[in-house]
Amino acid sequence: MFKLSKMFVLLVVLALAAAACAPQPTPTEAPTAVPATQVPTAMPPTAAPAATATQSPAASIDCKGAKAGDTLSVLYQWTGSEEQNFNTIVKPLVDACGIKINAQSTRDAAVLDTMVKSTPPDVLFWPDLSPIKLYSDKLVALDADGANAGNYASDWINLGTSNGKLYALPAKSDMKTLIWYSPAQFQALGYTVPTTFADLQTLADKMASDGNVPWAMGLESGAATGWTGADFVEDILLATQGTDYVNGIISGKVPYNDPGVMSAYQIFQKWSSDPKYTVGGSTGTVSTNFGDAILQVFSNPPKAMMVDKATFAAGNITKQYPNLKLGTDYNAFAFPGAQGVQVSADFMYAFSNSPAAQALLAYWTSDLGGQNFAATNWGLSANKGAAGNYTDPMMTTLGNIFANAKGYAFSTGDALGNPYATAQWKAVVNVAQGQDIKTNLDTVAAAQTQSLQGK
Amino acid sequence: MVPKIMKQGRLAPWLYLLPSLILMTIFIVYPTFATVRLSLLDAHSLRSAATTCAAGQPCWGILENYRYALTNPEMLAALRNNALWILLMVPGTIIGALFFALLADRVPYENLAKSIIFMPMAISFVGASVVWRFVYDYQSSGSQIGILNGILTALGGQPVAWLSAPIINNFCLMLVGVWLWAGFCMTILSAAIKGVPAEILEAARVDGANEFQVFGNILLPSIMPTVVVVATTMTIIILKVFDVVYVMTGGYFDTEVIANRMFELIVTNAGQSTAIAVVLIVLTIPIMIFNVQRFRREEAAR
Repeated sequence: MFKLSKMFVLLVVLALAAAACAPQPTPTEAPTAVPATQVPTAMPPTAAPAATATQSPAASIDCKGAKAGDTLSVLYQWTGSEEQNFNTIVKPLVDACGIKINAQSTRDAAVLDTMVKSTPPDVLFWPDLSPIKLYSDKLVALDADGANAGNYASDWINLGTSNGKLYALPAKSDMKTLIWYSPAQFQALGYTVPTTFADLQTLADKMASDGNVPWAMGLESGAATGWTGADFVEDILLATQGTDYVNGIISGKVPYNDPGVMSAYQIFQKWSSDPKYTVGGSTGTVSTNFGDAILQVFSNPPKAMMVDKATFAAGNITKQYPNLKLGTDYNAFAFPGAQGVQVSADFMYAFSNSPAAQALLAYWTSDLGGQNFAATNWGLSANKGAAGNYTDPMMTTLGNIFANAKGYAFSTGDALGNPYATAQWKAVVNVAQGQDIKTNLDTVAAAQTQSLQGK
Repeated sequence: MVPKIMKQGRLAPWLYLLPSLILMTIFIVYPTFATVRLSLLDAHSLRSAATTCAAGQPCWGILENYRYALTNPEMLAALRNNALWILLMVPGTIIGALFFALLADRVPYENLAKSIIFMPMAISFVGASVVWRFVYDYQSSGSQIGILNGILTALGGQPVAWLSAPIINNFCLMLVGVWLWAGFCMTILSAAIKGVPAEILEAARVDGANEFQVFGNILLPSIMPTVVVVATTMTIIILKVFDVVYVMTGGYFDTEVIANRMFELIVTNAGQSTAIAVVLIVLTIPIMIFNVQRFRREEAAR
């Protein structure tokens, strides 16, 4: 009765909402992180991976007792080429065990909510940690369900653990804490890649005094406007305060109006609102779409020198400017001085402990699963088996930065969810528009408390 | 003598009403009560809303979610914006619609003219909002791809960030609303204008009234009941405005509206979301009552 009533309310609200738009609760926009460098992805792996490639895939796949014909329901947000990559990765499992995967795709948190309360999917891939908070009574602990948690760094295990149970592991990861730039431009203008945060600040000041705008910033992203700025601030925090501090925001140890966060926002405000430091000043920052901002660095002539973006930026650059060459025309360096990398991920959850569900979890988290994931160059994998198995030069570079990072800090907004995330995005927009930092961060800190209470 | 088969018992009317009563109960009455019930519970609909009160903070007990809906600064901004929408868009659509209806009445290609004005109604609101986003597009540097800023810069002006500059962005959104709904209002008002007997208008003109006097003293009073119906309908529609705001600004830059808050909260905080829904229902009820009363009075006068 209670479920029914909630569904009805949902229906009423959705009807009002004209049902026409699929909301995107977590804007970890990662349109196929496969950069279009001209390496055929199907190319047989050479050198190091050759050893693993000789193994018979079926030999190391554990079907966990799943029988041919067993079905497995899966829900994810992926579509199109992402869905194809998923199918490529699970094909060895499907072939070896004969299970049938029924996949459904939605980006709508309301649809997920309705499904979980009626017929939850066996395995769920979702780009934030909100399911832990919302559905912990229905989720099955992954390590007790066939998953090999040993293949993941402790930061990841901590992220997915609640009340001592491991509910989430990263299935596909994305790395932020990168700055994209044009090596050719840097060389022509006599700039060098900074290695410390102080260097970065000096470089930005030098560029500004030379009349070159250092930053391309775009906060606009529809109903999620502001998230790219929130990521930028977190990168600054990783450099000025470190991974533990950022994870402290997620655990509640560090309130969001802490002096450390305030000073990060002061740097962000200067960079995001002064027309000398960002294209178009405040108005440009808040009105420019985050995708367009990436391109401002690579247009001819460039409108800005650098853009802080996640791995997916490579795809945007090569799609718009297919002739640019990796390494000379575009490249990325790790955010100078960052002690650890900021990550986002599509997490894997289980609502079932059926043999087929266990088989998928075991396979995905195994060395072989990591290798097969990396071979698609679809994105980064936190699975230790993936390291060194990417076949694309860009992904190899990014994969190395990722695998060798000192620590992993999740995007605080994705970790805490709403109301914190939305409050944070709004504060970022307000600060970029020159509003008072303290007032705005007090609001976020209040939302942080609320989000933590719900957790 | 009425044939026996046509005699009706006391139950017969209820029998006729039964199908609609069942549908109404399932789809209107039950959800309404369920919504009210959920609005008194916490974020996950498990405990009373009173349990969400934080110590030292103001607390409305079981009505705690209503404290959010009626006093939270974000909600106050949304309520203020909805009021602004009603104050400007209702007259906007009606004046625009009357203007087009009167003009179209006087041209030979009336149907074509009216079809063009009505056309936006045929577009999905989300689609229309996406199109208008391009109209208002702002580029911080380089050439402008939005037509408004294109015209502005071609005339030597500075481009304006239509959707992110507060105050002005609200008017830009309302303009989209007017564009979407003016055709609908025009169709209804046009039918009412055609219903005014030509003889009365002719008589007035023969008596020497100019066109403005004919409009103000004869035409407008004759179609007033229809104008009121259109105005109340529009008020209800605008109270629920969502798509335009969600797609174009996402409620950012001081453009938040009630329905958008409700939507944002539905998954994370069912209590607050349903409290907003109830506030919305309560706001529309007086308008509905007014509409029904007026309708009854007219029926009685007939």
